[in-house]
Amino acid sequence: TGLEMEPLLQAWSCFRRRKFQLCPDLCSQLLEKSPGHQEPDSEFTVSQAAWILKTRALTEMVYVDEIDVDQEGIAEMMLDENAIAQVARPGTSLKLPGTSHGGGPTPAVRPVTQSGRPITGFVRPSTQSGRPGTMEQAIRTPRTAHTARPITSASGRYVRLGTASMLTNPEGPFINLSRLNLAKYAQKPKLAKALFEYIFHHENDVKNVNLRSTVAHIGEYPFTLFTSKSIYKNALDLAALATEHAQYKDWWWKVQIGKCYYRLGLYREAEKQFKSALKQQDMVDTILYLAKVYFRLDQPLTALHLFKQGLDRFPGEVTLLCGIARIYEEMNNIPLAAEYYREVLKQDNTHVEAIACIGSNHFYSDQPEIALRFYRTRRLLQMGVYNCQLFNNLGLCCFYAQQYDMTLTSLERALSLAENEEEAADVWYNLGHVAVGIGDLNLAYQCFKLTLANNNDHAEAYNNLAVLEMRRGHVEQARALLQTASSLAPHMYEPHFNFAALSDQVGDLQRSYIAAQKSKEAFPDHVDTQQLIKQLKQHFAML
Amino acid sequence: MSLFKARDWWSTTLGEKEEFDQGCLCVADIDNSGSGQDKITVGSYMGYLRIFNPHPVKPGDGMKAEDLLLEVQLRDPILQVEVGKFVSGTELLHLAVLHCRKLCVYAVSGTLGNVEHGNQYQIRLMYEHNLQRTACNMTYGPFGGVKVGLSWTTETTMSNKEGGQKLKTRDRQQRQGRDLICIQSMDGMLMLFEQESYAFGRFLPGFLLPGPLTYSSRTDSFITVSSCQQVESYKYQVLAFATDADERNETEQQKLSSGKRLVMDWVLNIGEQALDVCVVSFNQTSSVFVLGERNFFCLKDNGQIRFMKKLDCSPSCFLPYCSVSEGTINTLVGNHNNMLHVYQDVTLKWATQLPHIPVAVKVGNLQDLKGVIVTLSDSGHLQCSYLGTDPSLFQAPKVESREINYEELDQEMKELQKIIKESTKTQDILPKSEKDCDDLRITAEVSSDLDAISQAIDSEVRAEAVPSVTVKITLQSRLAVQKTKLSICVQPPLALTRDQFIFDLESCGSKAVALSVFLKGNYPPAELEGNVVASYSTPTDLNPEGIPRVAQCKFRLPLRLICFPAQPSKTANHKLTIDTNKPPVSLVNLFPDFADQSDEDQVNVLGFQLLTGSRITLLASKTSQRYRIQSEQLEDLWLITKELIFRLEEHFKKQNSKDFTCIFSGSVPLQEYFELIDHHFELRMNAEKYEELLSERAIQFRAIERRLLIRFKDKTPAPLQHLDTLLEGTYRQIIALADAAEENQANMFQAFTKLKSATQLVIMLISLWQKLSTDQVAILEATFLPLMQDTQELGWEESVDAAISHLLRTCLSKSSKEQALTLSSQLSIPKDTSRLKKHITLLCDRLAKGGRLCLTVDTNIQQTMVMPGVCTPIPESDLEERTAIQGSTTMFTNHRHLIKQKSKTDLPQGALEETEKP
Repeated sequence: TGLEMEPLLQAWSCFRRRKFQLCPDLCSQLLEKSPGHQEPDSEFTVSQAAWILKTRALTEMVYVDEIDVDQEGIAEMMLDENAIAQVARPGTSLKLPGTSHGGGPTPAVRPVTQSGRPITGFVRPSTQSGRPGTMEQAIRTPRTAHTARPITSASGRYVRLGTASMLTNPEGPFINLSRLNLAKYAQKPKLAKALFEYIFHHENDVKNVNLRSTVAHIGEYPFTLFTSKSIYKNALDLAALATEHAQYKDWWWKVQIGKCYYRLGLYREAEKQFKSALKQQDMVDTILYLAKVYFRLDQPLTALHLFKQGLDRFPGEVTLLCGIARIYEEMNNIPLAAEYYREVLKQDNTHVEAIACIGSNHFYSDQPEIALRFYRTRRLLQMGVYNCQLFNNLGLCCFYAQQYDMTLTSLERALSLAENEEEAADVWYNLGHVAVGIGDLNLAYQCFKLTLANNNDHAEAYNNLAVLEMRRGHVEQARALLQTASSLAPHMYEPHFNFAALSDQVGDLQRSYIAAQKSKEAFPDHVDTQQLIKQLKQHFAML
Repeated sequence: MSLFKARDWWSTTLGEKEEFDQGCLCVADIDNSGSGQDKITVGSYMGYLRIFNPHPVKPGDGMKAEDLLLEVQLRDPILQVEVGKFVSGTELLHLAVLHCRKLCVYAVSGTLGNVEHGNQYQIRLMYEHNLQRTACNMTYGPFGGVKVGLSWTTETTMSNKEGGQKLKTRDRQQRQGRDLICIQSMDGMLMLFEQESYAFGRFLPGFLLPGPLTYSSRTDSFITVSSCQQVESYKYQVLAFATDADERNETEQQKLSSGKRLVMDWVLNIGEQALDVCVVSFNQTSSVFVLGERNFFCLKDNGQIRFMKKLDCSPSCFLPYCSVSEGTINTLVGNHNNMLHVYQDVTLKWATQLPHIPVAVKVGNLQDLKGVIVTLSDSGHLQCSYLGTDPSLFQAPKVESREINYEELDQEMKELQKIIKESTKTQDILPKSEKDCDDLRITAEVSSDLDAISQAIDSEVRAEAVPSVTVKITLQSRLAVQKTKLSICVQPPLALTRDQFIFDLESCGSKAVALSVFLKGNYPPAELEGNVVASYSTPTDLNPEGIPRVAQCKFRLPLRLICFPAQPSKTANHKLTIDTNKPPVSLVNLFPDFADQSDEDQVNVLGFQLLTGSRITLLASKTSQRYRIQSEQLEDLWLITKELIFRLEEHFKKQNSKDFTCIFSGSVPLQEYFELIDHHFELRMNAEKYEELLSERAIQFRAIERRLLIRFKDKTPAPLQHLDTLLEGTYRQIIALADAAEENQANMFQAFTKLKSATQLVIMLISLWQKLSTDQVAILEATFLPLMQDTQELGWEESVDAAISHLLRTCLSKSSKEQALTLSSQLSIPKDTSRLKKHITLLCDRLAKGGRLCLTVDTNIQQTMVMPGVCTPIPESDLEERTAIQGSTTMFTNHRHLIKQKSKTDLPQGALEETEKP
């Protein structure tokens, strides 16, 4: 029998259990039976209830927590007129991370990324792209090593999400926005809230447009920077009317307006809304949204202050602690970041990000045994994180902690779990390191070659192969490899330095000097580079 | 993610394809046995009511028949089961079962048999209420009775459905021992039942969809979460007094809505919908727990937030169950990741894995084991578990876990190294084996006549008829080959009707395909040859999928494809004379397809006209053994000259004379050749200029866009000040520039083809002049024709210049001083062609003076050719402080971080760095 006799109850129960494919179908059946399904009007009708339930189910299907989403596209970066000072004081800006606050490993030990920050143990969406300085650079920066297309605009992703959800409704969108009377809905808070979330998350339909600009978007290339953001204008209108109707007393609408402003790039307005919402009602989510705004405005210190205040109100809240730790990490203050991650772990022992970051911190601070503990005995492996990266890290920790029995098996397992060639390349690269460590240079050579076979753009492997070739006396080979390495990863100092040293050896002092300068730029504190430059300068002075 | 798994104490699956939801589980001592042991009561949407008393012999046992005390099929779906004091006059616990349209209260009792499995349990219906509205959920509690503090009595008259008796005032004590039931309907009515009788019903204000409902005895109020995302609290008294005090029929009262609108006691906007609400009171404090969709809240009695916790996974159910340490409350939260979390206030104390997503969780005393966690999944999996620390390690797919035998490994390594070394010694990548030739053989046959009906389509040639010729390609294979891909290629301006074929071949089978070639572009081609390539895979022992192999062959197209006979012309700008060492051959014999057969006497003059319009004349001297080719343009001479020499050689081969040679004694027409080079170079420079202009315009365009965007974002509307006109204008300019650049590119390609023709002509003349061997001719060809076409990074002029310089320095060098010169220039487009021309002239001189071309691998000479650079980026605006990078190489970001879910940890690897001690 079941609940078929009571379709609304059945739909409601499905919704509670998050069966978001079944629920809209049941609701559609209900709506078909009752007349006037598009515009529910009266106080309570089954059709109204079904409409709301279906709206919410469709929204939940594509719901993405706004707090997590943050991939800045080129368009946003270039149009960013919110930067206050052109040259920020050191330590106050995320664009210029500033010198490391001591206690962290140097780039000699811990590799740096494109933007000059040390590599963290965890990938987050916003750390993907560096912040290129000019538009030209931005266009040339590919998204990943495998595609040449740059990230053009963040709303592109939202569009794709929206169109994906269109597929669920073959006869077209469930709610036709152009026919909605927003003012009427704004006066009915229970309908308006569901409708708002629907518009915001679900209906990212570019065609439903009210463009004020006349510029077309030529393919995906940023010849133009406009993307149609007016879908958020619709949501914003609804939210504005609704909040007025609620006499500005409903903090939820303020937060939603803030989210719309954020998506539209109007960060100062978003800040105002979130602040006002916080004054009315303290909520963790509001704090997180506001912190995101400060992040975009490049005010990490303000965000920190906000988080700390939030911690006063909600002591022990893991998301706030994690936010603080992330900011410290972005600002290159590794010790403080590690401290906050530890706090996170005190509150929540299973927090994967914290474990990973602390583990990698330990690894690079020359404490591989502790890192090993984090990765294996204590946490990640037994929690069921079972992937190539974990075993890769385990293998490395074992090797440096001198537990050689585990090293090869872990790396072997990592290889078998590699899901794509990039991962396999990294594992082979590490195997090469292990081989160098045990002195088997032939094996190391093969491993680095395999790295390149899997990933043609692996700059570090090129560099190391060059060193091995130099040992074998193939100077020309080494040179070519070093040049490839330095062109692939100009922020790494090793290829530059090696090239300088090599050129110096063969007597090409001009080239050596140029390369040494580049090495110095990448890593100013490198003693050997400084010595080399000094030597060359002396040489030139003599001439 | 958790280290630990909930240890299975007892579990069972209920029925098949039954559905359950939050209210379907209840753990209490339902049969009033008094032993303190709880029984598990489960009701399903199919109407089955089951009561269990688990008795596992050892933990992990499944269900035995004795564990199931009772199983009843009630007709209607069961929405919720609760155990409480629902029957008047007694303090025993009874079972309340909520159906969609009915509320039933049962008594469960058991009669002990002689042996344990002789126990019998029955349920007896005490009373039931029919509901006029579809029910959703219910709550129970001592409504209206207050445990401590104020006491009040109320005059209420209630009618008993069966008897019609009127019961008067109840006093406080009696009320305390009773639980009343409040049912929420799907359309928002709260129906209150005082046990056997219906009390009243009230509509919740502003109702749309039902939310969770609970009762707080400390404040005597009902708490629910409405569709407005608010937690609302209604006092029982407010609910009760909102009634009209007339005695209407129960059913009528249920139907009609009441008068006054209800006033909330307090309300809290939590910003999300809620799954469940629960009131707990420990240690004199009472808190309201709300499980939202993304957070869970703990509120004080007056609705203020005591604490809240943001959850990282969608929760499915929760239960605040006890207070372990002073002032804190422990809560169990189940989520959709099959995890059960134990929180002490906001700190996560324990996390454990469950085998299912729990829709209901309870804690009970079962079989003298206190604190057993009972979870129910929505498909009917019921599990009683306890928390343990035995880590359940992942049963991962095992890699062949063999012990590492180091000696074996070493041996294998040595063998592999040997193989690698051997294979790297030979220069050839492909092992040449005789067998390969027989595996698959291609032959291409060009038909001697042109197609009767020309297959030319879309040809741009401005002639009346564009001929085409058929090429038949035959493949013969010795083995069965799957998916052979056949590709045919001709250089533009020639084109094919079809250039790719894919088919399977059987063993010892053959396949033939035919296609046509014609002239498509409106300029003469540089060569009349085509290439056929077949790629296939042959399976071997080690590699059943097959090793890829390739078979090739070439074919020559007839001259008639691109030109036809015409009147010879007397004058010409460019003339070439070829000497031969054999008596002159009649042109009629040499070019039968061009000469009129009717002319009997020896024809000495032949005129050719290319389809594209230019004319070439071929003259044969009657007396001397010379042939002259002349034309208006240098490049047109090439095809005819080549054809002439080819046909002469064929002719004399047929006559079996082996020592036929051609000689060229004139001067190589370098000046005219240089003109062609200049023309090509000029077009390349134009292309560069167009590119720069396009960049500039694009920057301008973006700047205007930026201004516009700022204008639009402005709160106060301001006039656009013709920015849109500017935008439109710039857009038009960009389009025009792009068109011009495209046209220039087409011209450049044509010029390059001409240059190729002329180059090949010059090479041939040089080789005839100096009598170069085929090896040396090959070197010359490689030097002068390194590219198929120009690209943005690398063009013809600089590659040829580099190659010639290399030759001049190595095999044609005059002195050792030249050898030591290291060329440190990049391969970039030169400013002009003077250097190239100088080098070409020098090359010819040296060859004339007896230099010989050869390529030797000389280790003393250090070649350092840096990879070509690209266009420097133009600084976008004055806001940016970065200066243009001089001739730098392109930057590629090396993304070593992988994009997946958040469980990613990629340890980057330290770089190996060797320092050279100076």
